[in-house]
Amino acid sequence: MVTAETPEGILLELRPAGLTVRFCAFALDGLIRLIIMYASAIAAALFGGLGVAFWFILLFALEWFYPVVFELTPSGATPGKRTFGLRVVMDNGLPVTAAASVTRNLLRAADFLPLGYGFAIVSMLMRRDCKRLGDIAAGTAVLYEPRAAARIALDTVAAVVPVTPLAPEDQAALIAFAARAPRLTGERLDELAAIAATVSGDAGRRGPEVTRRVLGVAQWALGRRS
Amino acid sequence: MTPLQFETLYEAEWAELETLLDRVLGRTRTQAGSGKDVSGARVAALYRRACEQLALARARSYPAYLVDRLERLTADGHQVVYQSHEFGVARVKQMLAVDFPCAVREQARYVATAALLFALPTILVALVVYRHPELILSVVSADTAASFEEMYSPAADSIGRVREATTDWIMFGFYIRHNVGVAFQCFAGGLFAGLGSLFFLAYNGAFSGAIAGYLTERGLAPTFYSFVATHSAFELTAIVLSGAAGLRIGHALLAPGRLTRRQALVQATQESAIILYGVTAMLIVAAGIEAFWSSARWLAPAIKYTVAAMCWIAVLAYFTLQGRRAA
Repeated sequence: MVTAETPEGILLELRPAGLTVRFCAFALDGLIRLIIMYASAIAAALFGGLGVAFWFILLFALEWFYPVVFELTPSGATPGKRTFGLRVVMDNGLPVTAAASVTRNLLRAADFLPLGYGFAIVSMLMRRDCKRLGDIAAGTAVLYEPRAAARIALDTVAAVVPVTPLAPEDQAALIAFAARAPRLTGERLDELAAIAATVSGDAGRRGPEVTRRVLGVAQWALGRRS
Repeated sequence: MTPLQFETLYEAEWAELETLLDRVLGRTRTQAGSGKDVSGARVAALYRRACEQLALARARSYPAYLVDRLERLTADGHQVVYQSHEFGVARVKQMLAVDFPCAVREQARYVATAALLFALPTILVALVVYRHPELILSVVSADTAASFEEMYSPAADSIGRVREATTDWIMFGFYIRHNVGVAFQCFAGGLFAGLGSLFFLAYNGAFSGAIAGYLTERGLAPTFYSFVATHSAFELTAIVLSGAAGLRIGHALLAPGRLTRRQALVQATQESAIILYGVTAMLIVAAGIEAFWSSARWLAPAIKYTVAAMCWIAVLAYFTLQGRRAA
């Protein structure tokens, strides 16, 4: 996890994308480029000499400016990156600028060495923020698009007043536990609830009833009173 | 205040900010209209309030879904409020008229170094190969040497690379791709402490020198020099400039001064971007000249040399004089 600070003093949490997902995105982009190249080659053949010329220019543009064009769109990602939920941003979390996008993509020429993106792979594996050389020099980062966390579905559980005063972090832990409840099996849920059972005055006991009461305390911590 | 109270209190504000941001970022394409008519002041005000609320929510350990929502709101808002716009016709004009030549003059030391790194091997290797033409075989294979000779022989229909396909347009595309590749390599090599730039500049210089020396010795000088004179004004300058940008990056890495190495690198790269824009434009011009003008047989060498001299003067004048008053 890497953070960037906004002028308002808020820390934005940025989730850097790792080697595997970036490789997948790169492979998909490569496939797309290949398809465009073949399709346009067929079209170019129909137009003769001028078509071939156009094809060479297209080849040049695809090679160097395919990522730049897509990174400067509002989504900030090539089709491959978008498919895997990634985007390119500046180090401070802002949309990538034209200058940064151009340099990070031209520096592929360095990342590619000694062969098969060797330096890029080494650099990405060695850094916490998973940057390749072009990213380091241009001050950009490839991140996961943020995704919404699931809302807490506890409407069926009645709120229970805790028997001991709860510190804010205890309340937060209970609420986080409640948020995970739908994804846990019944047995695991009971097991975890037993650890927190003191809050509802059920210390030492376990079972579905205790779990219900602990989740009830979570309801109370969320602010429900019934 | 409990999380639920907090949420109910500010729900309306967050919903409003979400809709506004979705419209600005173009996520919703409804009849509500584009992002153009969104009030910037309103977005900024709501964004700053969301920042405060996020700080509160974090400090009070509110549930993840609340903090997450606020995080996404502030991250999107931050992007919208603080994004920079650097495009537009006026910007391009400013870049060509002032920024690019000024940036080159600012980097005069690197440009001079790069020019020397390129020119010295060219001249040395050209002289050596001129004296001992058999040495060309240690640079290129016998077949390649023969094909170069064939290309520039006075009997060929058009000068330059042998035309498999007939039109100049094809060569235009080919030249762009090839030359831009060479130039970008010279730049990117800078990341390896400048050694890559150093190598590619000297290598390309030596290669051109070898060809020039060899062809001159074979008595093909008139066709060869009338071919390269014009577009080289743009092409060689562009390669030297991108090499200079590479050297600058390398120098920033080796001697970062008061910055950390990483800061120095990022700064040098950002300042090099303008030169790369200019270099790309110059290479496209060079490829156009190379494909349509340099290779034309029907033009008398005298005309070509005159135009070439004018191009060289124009390029040099552009980099020494243009934009001085505005800067």
